[in-house]
Amino acid sequence: MKLTYEDLQMLDGKQGEARRRAMEGLVQLGEAFGAEDMVSIGYAHVHPGMAMYAQDVELLEELVDLGAQVVVPTTANVTNVDTENWRQTGAPESLARVHMRGVRAHKALGCVSAMTCTPYWAGHWPTWNMHMTSIESGVTVFCNSVLGARSNRDGFFSVYAALTGRYPRFGYHLDENRVGTHLVTVEASLHNTTDFSCLGYHLGPLVGTGVPVFTGFARPPTLDELDALGAGLATTGGVSMFIVPGITPPYNSTDQAMAGAPAPVELRVGGSDIDRVYGSFASAPPGSRVDFVHIGCPHASFQEMKEYAALLSGRTVHPDVEMWITTSGAVKALSAREGLISTLTDAGARVITDTCPMSCHFALTTSPDPGIVLPEPRIRRMVVDSAKQAKYTRDMIRCQTLLTTTAAAVATATSGRLVARGGSPG
Amino acid sequence: MSDRYRIAARGVVRGKASGPALVSSEGISFLGDLDIGTGRVVNRTHQIEGHRVAGTVLVLPHSVGSAGAWRFLYQMQVHGTHPVAIVQNSLPDSSLVQGAILGGIPIVCEPEVDVTTSIRSGDMVDVDGDAGMVTVRPAVSADGP
Repeated sequence: MKLTYEDLQMLDGKQGEARRRAMEGLVQLGEAFGAEDMVSIGYAHVHPGMAMYAQDVELLEELVDLGAQVVVPTTANVTNVDTENWRQTGAPESLARVHMRGVRAHKALGCVSAMTCTPYWAGHWPTWNMHMTSIESGVTVFCNSVLGARSNRDGFFSVYAALTGRYPRFGYHLDENRVGTHLVTVEASLHNTTDFSCLGYHLGPLVGTGVPVFTGFARPPTLDELDALGAGLATTGGVSMFIVPGITPPYNSTDQAMAGAPAPVELRVGGSDIDRVYGSFASAPPGSRVDFVHIGCPHASFQEMKEYAALLSGRTVHPDVEMWITTSGAVKALSAREGLISTLTDAGARVITDTCPMSCHFALTTSPDPGIVLPEPRIRRMVVDSAKQAKYTRDMIRCQTLLTTTAAAVATATSGRLVARGGSPG
Repeated sequence: MSDRYRIAARGVVRGKASGPALVSSEGISFLGDLDIGTGRVVNRTHQIEGHRVAGTVLVLPHSVGSAGAWRFLYQMQVHGTHPVAIVQNSLPDSSLVQGAILGGIPIVCEPEVDVTTSIRSGDMVDVDGDAGMVTVRPAVSADGP
């Protein structure tokens, strides 16, 4: 691999042990994937430190002890605990204590402990052609597909990239991989973010690690719908990027999106395909009692917070229902300034940051330190408005999980009874 | 015991390790198919469901890509339930490679022969991730899954 003078300085330990370790890992990664050299990155979205896994926060603390500092703007991904309101979620103090060590480690490293899966709604908005790294596959898809930045789906090495400002040139950092492999004609009419999350969820297994190119949308999707589409694709597929000609930089047409590529696989998505995703998370009939309702996956944008406030204004969450709205700390602060948080909490909803149901201590598939004693699972039937959250809630919390639209989820929360998609609010 | 033989491959993650082979002709998703605490294959429809990967050289056609794969492989190393090395026909995805480097678990891939048919569960396997070499000492009566 061709390395610069500064890369070699880091590799030789001239910039300290943390950067030496980071560069050694990145070089090994680059050699595995045949990278010719390294690129300079402009942004990193990294490992948050997960209190629900043993020795996970320690990965960051070890680097702090070596004096590590990030060299590019760096945000932390969604994690297990609401930093400010962990008691509100029922998290045990032993878990919160480990989490706080992760927050402190990020501060020492020089990161923004944004702790969100939607750092872009919190102001981190990489540009067209900016090389970056992301530990969250949904962020990878959004930044590649909506902003035109260049990111792979990374793991812990997102931290190594942040410490060195470098990343091996392979995958979606190369033009040759940023071309369409599947041409998707959307015949279904899609009305909201949940519908778009179902579109992505349906296509993930059909597309695999390919790059789907979309045509046929009745109108340009909103930013929130593009976000929901990416999260759905990344949930069921190995997708890193999609292309909507006219939206994804720099592609203005399907021809440009397919330029130089072999003939694409052609796919059509009808209304029945979307119905089937909803149907796979419809294990109880409308009218069934519900004890938990969640909206805000991926973490809500300010626009979504406004929509939630409009839906919940003047209404009250049913006393048998716990309702969570999840977002980033940054969006929550802005929403508070605009008076939205009081509207939501007056209605009885809880506004939770830094985590979400599938990411918090509700998950049963984790492996925390034995010193952390988690409360008994108490959720029996959960309603969500995102296909991503639905899949992971079902598999990780192992409760009955139902998928409906945002408006129907709010109607479910206020009535205490399941309102199906298109059903009349209670 | 039959004679040992060698398979040339490409070293992906450095390091050396030895152990009995656990061969699956079906790929594995490190996020979802495996239980961190026990190292057992828990996917009920998987070909080697119920087998423990701990201490084995895991021999696969490929691994199923997932951005969270690194965490599960690393967590298995933290809990001592990890395979000591991975040999697979195709190049694993980036996340799994990152987890293996972090956990010091050598990986070799792109071997000169299909390892899922040439190696049998129970064979003793030495993996050299630096040289990209796999040395197999066949078990007397291989009894694979």
